[in-house]
Amino acid sequence: MTEAKKTVLELRNLTLRRGEFLLDKVCCSVMEREIVAIIGKTGAGKTLLLETAAGLCRADGGQALYGGIPIQTVPIERRNIGYLYQDYGLFPHMTARENIGFSLRMQRIGAKERRHRVDEMAERFGIREILEQYPATLSGGEQQRVALARALMMRPPLLFLDEPFSALDPVTRKDFYRILHEVREEFGCAILFVTHDFSEAQQLADRIGVLIDGRLRGVVEASCLFTAPWEAEVCRFLGISEDERGDRE
Amino acid sequence: MRDRRHNLFSGVCAVLTAVVVLLIGSTIGVIVVRGLGALPGHWIQRETQFALWMSVKSACISTCLCVLLAVPTAYTLSRGRFPLRGVLETLLELTVSLPYIVLGLSLLILFSSPAGKWLKEAGFPVVFSTNGVILAQLVVNLPFAIRLVSTAFQGVDRKLEYVAGLLGASPMRQFFWVLLPLCRRSLWSAVILVWARALGEFGATLMLVGVTRMRTETLPASIYLAVSGNDLDSALASAFLLLLLSAVSLGLANGMARRGRKRGRYDGS
Repeated sequence: MTEAKKTVLELRNLTLRRGEFLLDKVCCSVMEREIVAIIGKTGAGKTLLLETAAGLCRADGGQALYGGIPIQTVPIERRNIGYLYQDYGLFPHMTARENIGFSLRMQRIGAKERRHRVDEMAERFGIREILEQYPATLSGGEQQRVALARALMMRPPLLFLDEPFSALDPVTRKDFYRILHEVREEFGCAILFVTHDFSEAQQLADRIGVLIDGRLRGVVEASCLFTAPWEAEVCRFLGISEDERGDRE
Repeated sequence: MRDRRHNLFSGVCAVLTAVVVLLIGSTIGVIVVRGLGALPGHWIQRETQFALWMSVKSACISTCLCVLLAVPTAYTLSRGRFPLRGVLETLLELTVSLPYIVLGLSLLILFSSPAGKWLKEAGFPVVFSTNGVILAQLVVNLPFAIRLVSTAFQGVDRKLEYVAGLLGASPMRQFFWVLLPLCRRSLWSAVILVWARALGEFGATLMLVGVTRMRTETLPASIYLAVSGNDLDSALASAFLLLLLSAVSLGLANGMARRGRKRGRYDGS
């Protein structure tokens, strides 16, 4: 008998207003070890959704529950969430080693153990040779590996990725798809990521949500992205023609 | 036709630039040529040395106090979320545009009050004392320093602080581990500029502590006293010293900014 999966993150009517833009009553959940992708055009509110879900922006309505607890009630330093920004957000004044070991340092873990654990993690991601370099001297792929290693150091149950592959070349990108699946298995974390790339979402995610103008129009199994009974606006966004839509109906 | 207009515009700009260079250059030139000539005779005078020491000492102390107060205030203004923030910002900015003599007058009234007298009895005199020199420099420079530090803080990507937070850094550790190191160069540059301004402060100091030889005599006060006594050489020697100190500090501030730009804003060096 398979064990029922727990919900890691649940968004309940999450609402946020930023000037004219409205993130409107977003409902979604991420189960443990699940990869969920949110796809949408530029300006659809993808980054804002991630930031609000991670509790970095204070929601105007609804809740983001992380492990069943409203995320805003947990101090940011105790949330234990991995977060990868599009530009990776590496600390430019620290070496790759210092970046990866940052969370350990914040936990006041001694230099010797820190060194050992950073080396281990660097080995895992194939970045041992660049540990003493500063982020500005690293390639996009290397920066991303460093950022991923850093985010996973405390083994967070949930990893947020904000368009993580948009700046990578196709080969490095493919390599990262594999790494992300391995990460899920090895570290046992759930992943919520946003992208504008349909094929990337389908290759990586178990489920995919479509975000248009701040409204999450639905979440479906990745394999059903182009066959689900979407409303007209989503069909237009996905490039599903009227005929195809009519055939399905 | 378009080229001719462009040439005319460039020509007018060049001429106006030349006027500006002439205007500023000549004022500096007078001080350099005549001050340098007067310096050897006045350098050995006790009054000049006292004024130099008083200026450097008070500027150093007031700059340290200024940084201690400006950094947390700028942090609150640039990162805090609280009602009436705009009002607070306007209030702080207001003093930047006020004539310093007005600030000095306000300080004089404030520290001549019973509270000021109590401070004097408690061993901390402000009016007509060295403490007053430091306080005047501090009050004049504080809004300027807050503005410089706020600009430096606003230049740092908030994402980096968020990431630090999610990696286990409390807001205080985010400040010391991420924000502060990332604007290190801008902060040093601000410190130097604040110090240079403190060195040249006169209006508020004059109002609060007056000008007393060998007591509250800073370099600007020394110039004022010398001109009042018709001793132009002495005034020019003090002016040259001020110019020299300002040039060195400005050079340091510019050098720091250039180094920062050349290496990229965050190089971790």
